Amino acid sequence: MSPMNPSIAAKEPQAGIDLLRIVRINEEIKAVVGVAFKINIMALNAIFLAKRAGTAALGFGVLSNELRTFSQDLRSCMGALTVLIHRCVTEVSVVLQDIRKTRLLSEAVSLSALSKLNPVVVRRERENIEHQERLAALRRQLLRALDDAFQLVELGGVLAKSAKIEAAYGQSFAASLAQVSGEFDGVVEEIRNSLLALRHSEFFK
Amino acid sequence: MKKTNTIFQDGDHKWVAIVRDPDRPGHLVDTNEYLVTHGGQGMLLDPGGAEVFPAVFSALSGEFDPSALSAVFASHQDPDICSSLALWLEFNPGMRCYVSWLWESFIPHFGGTKETFVTIPDPGMDIFLGGLSLQAVPAHYLHSSGNFHLYDKQAKILFSGDVGAALLPAGQDALFVENFDTHIRYAEGFHKRWMGSNDAKRRWCERVASMEINLLCPQHGAIYQGSDVQRFINWFDELQVGVLGS
Repeated sequence: MSPMNPSIAAKEPQAGIDLLRIVRINEEIKAVVGVAFKINIMALNAIFLAKRAGTAALGFGVLSNELRTFSQDLRSCMGALTVLIHRCVTEVSVVLQDIRKTRLLSEAVSLSALSKLNPVVVRRERENIEHQERLAALRRQLLRALDDAFQLVELGGVLAKSAKIEAAYGQSFAASLAQVSGEFDGVVEEIRNSLLALRHSEFFK
Repeated sequence: MKKTNTIFQDGDHKWVAIVRDPDRPGHLVDTNEYLVTHGGQGMLLDPGGAEVFPAVFSALSGEFDPSALSAVFASHQDPDICSSLALWLEFNPGMRCYVSWLWESFIPHFGGTKETFVTIPDPGMDIFLGGLSLQAVPAHYLHSSGNFHLYDKQAKILFSGDVGAALLPAGQDALFVENFDTHIRYAEGFHKRWMGSNDAKRRWCERVASMEINLLCPQHGAIYQGSDVQRFINWFDELQVGVLGS
C-alpha cells in the first residue's frame, strides 16, 4: 500500500488523544456530580441542625438552604456539561471515521490516478473541515460552560465560608455547626479544584 | 496494487478477477473480488474490506469506470466481504447492494442508506445487470446463515463466496488451480472449520452439480476451472464439515 498522507497520519492519533481527554473530563464531571449530591444531603442535615439550634442558628439555617440550592444548581450545571461532553464524543468519533475514510479514499485516488475522482476526495476533506469546526465550536462551548460552573462554585465557596462565620454564633451548637460548615468548605474546595483542573485540560489548548 | 485478470469475455459481457495484492499487510486475509460488466454497467462481487479498498479500487479503475458501478453483491455479512461499502458509496451514492434479507439491518453498520440495500429472499432471485440475468443461488450456512452465490448462466461462471476458498501459503499465487490434489489441502481445514452444516453442504452440492459451470470462483485462493469444478463439488460432498481441528 502507498504511504499515508502525512497530514492525515498526524490527525489520527490527535483525534484519539482528544477522545481520551474527553473521557477523562467526563469522569471528572461524574465525580463532581457525586460530590454535588453529597452537598445536598449535608445541607439537608445542616438545616435540621439549625432548626434544633433555634434562634442562635438562624443565619446558619439560611446559608444551609442556600447551599442546598447551590448543590441543585451545580447538578444542573454538570448535567449541561455532560450533554456537551456527549456531543464532543460524537463529533470526535465522526472525525476519527473521517480521517480513516479520507486516508483510504486518498490512497485509492492516488493509486488509480483518475483525476475525475479527485472531487470526491475534495468533498470528503471539506466535510472533515466542517466536522472539525463543529468540534472546535463545541470545545469553546464546553469551556464557557466550565467557566459558568466555576463561577457557581466560587459562590458556593463564599456560602461555605459565611456558614463557618455563622457557626461561631451558634452558642451551645457552635461546635457541631463549625464541623458541618468546615465539611461544606472542604467539599466545595474539592469541586473547585476539580473544575480548575478541567479548565486546564489539554483538550482546550 | 492488485492485479486484474479477465477470466471471461464475450463482447461487453466480461468477468474480471481482482486478485493478489503484493503490498497487502500480512495480518489481513487475502481476498478475491470479481467485476461483472454487461451493457455498460458493472457489478462488483464481494467488494472487500475497507483496508484493501485502495488496492481494489485502483485495480478496478484500470478496467472500468468506478462511477459506472451500478451495484455490489455481498455473498454474506463478513468484514472482509463488504466493510468497504461506505467508501464505494462515496464515489457512487446511487449504487445498490444486493444481500441476504437476513443482513438488511446489520450491513448498514458498514455504511449505506435504506435505499442502498436490495434484499435477497432465502430461495434466491434473479439480478439484472445491463440486460444480463444473473442468479443469486442459496448457499445458507456455507458459512454464513444468510449466504448467496452468484451464477452467470451465459458465462457459465459460479461465484462461490467462501465455498472453494483456500488459504494459500506465500508464493502460491496462481490465478487458477494448477494441481487439484495439492491445492485442496489448503482448502480442507478452512472448509471443515468454516462450513457449519453437512445438510446445507449436501443441498448446495446437489444444486450446483446440476448447473453448467466452467469456472468456480471463490473469494479466497485460486479459481477452479474445467474438470476441477466437478472434482471440487465431489470432494466437498464427501467432506465432513462443522468440526474443530484437523
